[in-house]
Amino acid sequence: MSTASVRPIGALISLLALAACGSKPGDPARQYGPDPYLPEPHEYLLPPMSVPEAIGWKAGETPTVAAGIKVEALATGLEHPRTLYTLPNGDILVVESNSPGTEPYRPKDFIAGKVKARAGADAEGGNRITLLRDADGDGKPAIRTVFIDHLYSPYGIVLVADTLYVADTDAILAFNYVPGQTRITSPGVKLAELPAGPIDHHWTKSMTASADGTKLYVGVGSNSNITENGMAVEEGRAAIYEVDRLSGAKRIFASGTRNPTSVAFEPQTRQLFAVVNERDEIGPDLVPDYLTSIRQGAFYGWPYSYWGSHVDVRVHPQRPDLVAQAIRPDYALSSHVAPLGLLFSEGQHLSPVFTNGAFISEHGSWDRSPLNGYQVIFVAFVNGRPVGQPIPVVTGFLGEDNQTVHGRPVGLALDRSGALLVADDVGNTVWRVSATQPGS
Amino acid sequence: MLAQKPSDNVVLDAEPPSEPARRAIGHSRARAPLHRGFIGAGAVLLIAAFATDSMYYTTALWQWANFSAWLITAGLIITLVAVMLLLLDFATGRAARLNTGSFILVTVAALLSLVNAFVHSRDAWTSVVPQGILLSALSAILLLIAGVRGWSLAIGRASGERP
Repeated sequence: MSTASVRPIGALISLLALAACGSKPGDPARQYGPDPYLPEPHEYLLPPMSVPEAIGWKAGETPTVAAGIKVEALATGLEHPRTLYTLPNGDILVVESNSPGTEPYRPKDFIAGKVKARAGADAEGGNRITLLRDADGDGKPAIRTVFIDHLYSPYGIVLVADTLYVADTDAILAFNYVPGQTRITSPGVKLAELPAGPIDHHWTKSMTASADGTKLYVGVGSNSNITENGMAVEEGRAAIYEVDRLSGAKRIFASGTRNPTSVAFEPQTRQLFAVVNERDEIGPDLVPDYLTSIRQGAFYGWPYSYWGSHVDVRVHPQRPDLVAQAIRPDYALSSHVAPLGLLFSEGQHLSPVFTNGAFISEHGSWDRSPLNGYQVIFVAFVNGRPVGQPIPVVTGFLGEDNQTVHGRPVGLALDRSGALLVADDVGNTVWRVSATQPGS
Repeated sequence: MLAQKPSDNVVLDAEPPSEPARRAIGHSRARAPLHRGFIGAGAVLLIAAFATDSMYYTTALWQWANFSAWLITAGLIITLVAVMLLLLDFATGRAARLNTGSFILVTVAALLSLVNAFVHSRDAWTSVVPQGILLSALSAILLLIAGVRGWSLAIGRASGERP
């Protein structure tokens, strides 16, 4: 345990934790790619925890980017911005949202809530979508309006034809959209219900649309870490849904994905991909979060196993039949980084390096010491498959002492000029990352 | 309230009590050890956690494990109150010396239960099976013995009564 560990628990407990700590955290670099290092699982009396204190950004402070790239705040003072979406006319939508709030079920939940609050996770979400219009592309939006208000923990957002779909935590809503509109006041029409309360542990509903616009794909997270709230509340959870855009008919497209926080189509192969947040509390290097192609009907292991057939003994009764079907994800992102944003680069202009591949935002760890994540990375793709080691793109979200955090990256989008937009839900900012020399 | 000692009743066995005598009644009642009832109350919750752990073990229904976690937490808090009252009992002369056997039983049970609170903070099946239910069973056995011995962790001053 490091000095950054959570302190409000007494010395005796620390001793217990030390006595229980079985493995030292390894180098995250060993856990990127198709064949990550997987240590033996450990069970703890007190799992490793390390959470930096959220301090936000002072005036003039920004995240860090490589030479030839610049970063500036496109909008500040938002209310927990999570996802971003660029409309065809260049308007940028910022979904401001947070968990609908859940009652503590166990004594542990009080402590877990306090731990995560330290890192800024308990801030009130705006439950709204803000529109930013930067018509001249100077990075200073001339228009900023509340586009849609009074939503219920919204997250996923996608425009198909003249309809804007917003995934609240409990339903997909459809809004008529007229190009150029800066505010929608009509209530949305419910297209399909989604699994939600009363627990709603993983509340985000990520969403994208197929290229032909006929289907929506929705990531629904599990209702627990590892079924500790019972199997009944996991019905229809930890899955990716396919929803018919017009009828709202839905079915489970793939399952066993613990928390698929972003779904997107790879532009060359039109293959659906997702980033998935894996389970906690069996070690600092277990289980790696991952990026994977999502195949129809496939089962990705949760809760019974991880990374293929590695059985999780915490689940009872076990299901060897399902473990045998569980497929290995394509690309590990290392443990507890909490990937929340996935964006294919589509040949954008930041740097030739980023022509073909995916940007992934790592919200950052709590169940690990030292910390992991807290950055935006780029994973190159060749022939529609992720390859190689990732390249850090936006860093510096953590303070230099690794004990404080200025911001945490969440949703990603490209603006009309090809600049990378990053939502930051602790700094309450949208960052615009662009090439120093436009068009280079 | 706890039963009065016969010797106290003998002292008070007279006409309508005078003002000093009324104070003596209050004094005599206050001299009953304060911690004993809280030891019993905390122990009941910790023993109940073994029952709910057993239910979880046989049914795998998560709410039983949830009950166990709350019972152990509440049992530990009440036991902590009991320990503070035990110190108060010594400080105010309600207790003369430690009832060593019962004290060890309750202390070991409380320490096992503290570890068990952390075991129960794990998620799903292994929050109970096997270590959690084992710790619950051990605590329950120790506390039941302490119960047979009368829950008191101290021996009174005046009468030297057995707990």
